[in-house]
Amino acid sequence: MSGTHLIETVINGLISGSIYALIGSGLALIYGTTRVLNFAHGELLMLAGYFILLFAVTLGWPVILAAIATIVLVMVLGALLQRVTIAPLMKREDWAFSVIAATIGLSIFLQSGAQLIWGEQYQGVPYFFHGVAVIGEVRMPWQRIAILVVALGVMGICGLILYRTKLGRIVRATAQDAEAALAVGIPAGRVHTIVFAISAGLAGTGAILLSPLITVNPWMGVSYLLKGFAVVILGGLGSFGGAVAAGFLLGLIESVSVAFVPSEWSNVIAFAFLIAVITARPEGLFAGRGA
Amino acid sequence: MLQLERVNVHYGATRVLWDVSISVGAGEMVAVMGPNGSGKSTVLKAAMGLKKPSSGVVSLNGEELQAKPATVRPQRGMSIVLERRRLFPRMSVEENIMLGAYVRKAAEARETYDWVLEILPEIKPHLQATAGRLSGGQQQMVAIARGLMADPKILLMDEPFLGLSPAMVKNVLAIMKTINERGVAILFNEQNAKLSFAVSHRGYLLESGRVVLSGSGEEMLEHPEVKRVYLGVREAAA
Repeated sequence: MSGTHLIETVINGLISGSIYALIGSGLALIYGTTRVLNFAHGELLMLAGYFILLFAVTLGWPVILAAIATIVLVMVLGALLQRVTIAPLMKREDWAFSVIAATIGLSIFLQSGAQLIWGEQYQGVPYFFHGVAVIGEVRMPWQRIAILVVALGVMGICGLILYRTKLGRIVRATAQDAEAALAVGIPAGRVHTIVFAISAGLAGTGAILLSPLITVNPWMGVSYLLKGFAVVILGGLGSFGGAVAAGFLLGLIESVSVAFVPSEWSNVIAFAFLIAVITARPEGLFAGRGA
Repeated sequence: MLQLERVNVHYGATRVLWDVSISVGAGEMVAVMGPNGSGKSTVLKAAMGLKKPSSGVVSLNGEELQAKPATVRPQRGMSIVLERRRLFPRMSVEENIMLGAYVRKAAEARETYDWVLEILPEIKPHLQATAGRLSGGQQQMVAIARGLMADPKILLMDEPFLGLSPAMVKNVLAIMKTINERGVAILFNEQNAKLSFAVSHRGYLLESGRVVLSGSGEEMLEHPEVKRVYLGVREAAA
């Protein structure tokens, strides 16, 4: 592999990884704070894909405005889904399985709803950024570079909120002991809703960045949900920082593997790596650093 | 001040409290004593709103609270030190303590913070340490500090001596007395009869979720049933 090819492979890995990190960190935030495995997370990404298609393409809004509207809408939707379906179930004492069942049900419902509303066809979103950056012999489309930059920026902001603000402190407190948080007066239920909204916003950001590269369709969230869960497990269940690191690691593994084996094998290698990690270190690579 | 009247609590289909009535007056130190599984912690959780009673009344200074969320209690002057400390383990000691003042304004909280560190000076060297890495005794100090940060009129303490060394038990008892002398009422539970009733103004004995005995601390210690069952004292043969 030439030096140029190696650099491009690593950058591509980081770009894919940034999407996995966006999705995985949202899932990790939810699991770390509420102990809920949200199987409908991929469908929030899918809905955000349709929203950006609606705002930026159908309505022709400027990209920034369309992106903001998409993120706000998907955050409201995430909060609403938590409030209407998950929060009532979590009041029961044995809620763990019923919540998993509910989020799987939600996932199917949202996929079917998307099919009814937008049909089964695959729809494309044009590139938001045109042209190719050339540094030496390395060539990379600006759209792909934007993915990495925006994803890093958004996750950085989330990290700052989590570790440097009052909101972050109460989210971390609720994640570490919800009952103790309640006892000091923190409204844990409201914190859960906020976490679902933030997590939906992260998935929405992923969808906006991703939609010009893949096509928007009712099933687009499925494979990313699987990757998201892989990232959550690799990172150490519930660790926001761990999920971010694991997302980039997974992206790099996939990207590097494609340089040596046919691309159809990239998933096999990525999940084989996941199984190897779980076997050697069941608690994940970055366990104990939860939100 | 705090009153529980005919409070019943269920966990699923299992009833764990049966018509429990308990009261704590302003400035009082009251103990709830009972064996494992008698429902002591549930009494405190029901008072704090962490476990919703299926029936009965929980009131603080005349205001009924049983239907209100737990988050209301700190605003009304009630605070709790949970069983086994229950700190936020990956946060610093200072963050833990300051979160105890979540419902208060920053300036008020700062005043209480100084007061708390005056009562619990052993915390000072550890303010930046990760709470989960402290010893059990140090964690208990932080848990008490966090409980006091709400500036409570009544502090609930769930098994405050659990897992502590005898020296640390003595230390915690002294701190409880200091807090109480400063006008904060304390309702605590404990399995050890001598510990419970020797320091409390009044006490309750709880068995299988029912209050079976109540009285002043001295009366409780002198009661033949408490002496026989919980203090292991045999009456001299007639």
